[in-house]
Amino acid sequence: MGHEAVRQPITEAHTPQTIATSAQPLLNVQGLSVRFDGAPKGVNVVDDVSFSVSKGKTLCIVGESGCGKSVTSLALMGLLPTPPARIVGGSAMFDGQDLLTLTERERADLRGDRMAMIFQEPMTSLNPAFTIGDQIAEGIVRHRRVSKAEAMERALDMLKKVRIPAPEKRLRAYPHEMSGGMRQRVMIAMALANDPQLLIADEPTTALDVTIQAQILTLIRRLQEETGTAMILITHDLGVVAEVADEVAVMYAGRVVESGPVEAIFEDPQHPYTIGLMGSVPSLGRRQGRLATIRGTVPPAELMPKGCRFTPRCPFADTRCANDPPPLAEIKPGHRARCWYAPLEIHRGAAS
Amino acid sequence: MLRYIGRRILIAIPTLIIVSVLVFALQKLLPGDPVLTMAGEERDPQVLAYLREKYRLDDPIPVQYFAWISSALTGNLGISLRTDIPVLDLIMSKLPVTIELAIMAMIVALAIGIPTGIISAVKKGTTVDYTANVIALSGLSIPNFWLGIMLIMLISVRWKLLPASGYVPPTEDLWLNIKTMLMPAFVLGTGLAASLMRHTRSAMLGVMRSDYIRTARAKGLLSRKVILKHALRNALVPIVTLSTLLFGELLAGAVLTEQIFTIPGFGKLIVDAVFNRDYAVVQGVVLCTAVGFIFMNLLADVLYVLVNPRLRHAA
Repeated sequence: MGHEAVRQPITEAHTPQTIATSAQPLLNVQGLSVRFDGAPKGVNVVDDVSFSVSKGKTLCIVGESGCGKSVTSLALMGLLPTPPARIVGGSAMFDGQDLLTLTERERADLRGDRMAMIFQEPMTSLNPAFTIGDQIAEGIVRHRRVSKAEAMERALDMLKKVRIPAPEKRLRAYPHEMSGGMRQRVMIAMALANDPQLLIADEPTTALDVTIQAQILTLIRRLQEETGTAMILITHDLGVVAEVADEVAVMYAGRVVESGPVEAIFEDPQHPYTIGLMGSVPSLGRRQGRLATIRGTVPPAELMPKGCRFTPRCPFADTRCANDPPPLAEIKPGHRARCWYAPLEIHRGAAS
Repeated sequence: MLRYIGRRILIAIPTLIIVSVLVFALQKLLPGDPVLTMAGEERDPQVLAYLREKYRLDDPIPVQYFAWISSALTGNLGISLRTDIPVLDLIMSKLPVTIELAIMAMIVALAIGIPTGIISAVKKGTTVDYTANVIALSGLSIPNFWLGIMLIMLISVRWKLLPASGYVPPTEDLWLNIKTMLMPAFVLGTGLAASLMRHTRSAMLGVMRSDYIRTARAKGLLSRKVILKHALRNALVPIVTLSTLLFGELLAGAVLTEQIFTIPGFGKLIVDAVFNRDYAVVQGVVLCTAVGFIFMNLLADVLYVLVNPRLRHAA
């Protein structure tokens, strides 16, 4: 029982509490749960998700497709289609106010102004019927007391900022006249046009060519440094995480299974899922046998275990794991893992 | 753009030729002899021969066709066998009436169909949506003539609000003109309104699911603007095309509506001409309608490109 001192549950389900950190985080999400109508009882697509982002910092949310990353970000933006989605618990304190209790009008006032989002699909995210300039400018006019002409000026500045060649010409271009990479630059210009405090980027490079991916990522990174915007970057690419993250939250089947500073996650991963994830990154170094994979797949909602959702795929799982959901516990300062046996070297040292 | 329109017109030419041949052939295949109709009771062979000679009805059919089509190209559609009035004059005097009816009906259809389609899409799955759908379905299923008769009974006969029939040119009395056209336009427009509503609804529903609608909302735009600017603009692309094509359908519907409300329009002209075996008039009217149809198709193609920036460059 000596390990009880090490483990301190940070959150109990649905009882939000603020963690005292040195700086007040810009966004503090506690116990966020989202349910889709028609899903089996008690199985939330996003379940008891907690994380926080500080001013100017980058939080990467990592996980395989379908783990609830996008749903989480859409819920924060207030863009989830309700129904079928329903936010059933939690809080999201953004600069002193709980996003989840705001009225739709208040949220619309925040969206595109103090918090903005970039989406995964640049090819379909721009309206084909309007020019680039019009689409950037309308977001500015919506939140700022400026004339249409001034907004267009600002739109032009933004196009220059995201390094679009011949920006004057592009202002009058339609989306179909541009490539995916250029459209994603436009989306970035649009998102940053009102100097948001928080930028949510949902897999912004996934749909792009590999060569373009790096450019876009560098661009986002540079603009973030220039403007001091906090960013939540959603990705499944651990290479990207290593490069840009300050903090990391690893999600599995709708839950955050591990979170902490990027160094801690990479150097000392604690959750078996995170460890598996690290093992499945191909590297250019000397090959040592087969690329490690996590056996099995994410269980469908109706087969979701009552306890830890990783149980069916976990090499260390036992009956307790299957029946009792572990809390997201702090195992080292700032480093949390949702596993009964974290830290693994203490509990399973012999086994692993 | 001009090249695109030019190409479209060129494509329309073979269609026109085929239509003209069909119109002419159908006439010749119809039973009944126009000469007998014209001659009336006295079947004097000499008179019949004279009439045949006069209207060149004894020439071989291809000769008749070329004679007809070449004069048609110069704007001469022949002379009504019945009234001795040039067909073109007859058409020109009736056409404005029908065009007025069609335009008013179209306005009714658009004014009812598009807003209810939008509301129904936005309120999908609610009572509003179901009500709108039921009304639209009734609009589609109720025959024009029945609705017309009911309206005449109620509004004209019982309440005496609007005249039951007749036509007054707008140049004579604009207000009376609108009053006489109101009911026919409504009757003709409702069926179209229903199909416009259904199309608007499904187009809007499709568009509302798009990623760019999410982007528009992510910018903080309010629902009204998201729906009326971002969604409607894209949903209009198929609707514009549909409306233009429905315009052709309107002409067909006008035939019946004009009969019910005894409006001296195009529809009445063709019905009378068919009953009187007035070949020249039937040919002229059908040819005109075909040209009108082809023109509306052309317009639909052009509008489709205009409302859809993605196609402008390809055009």
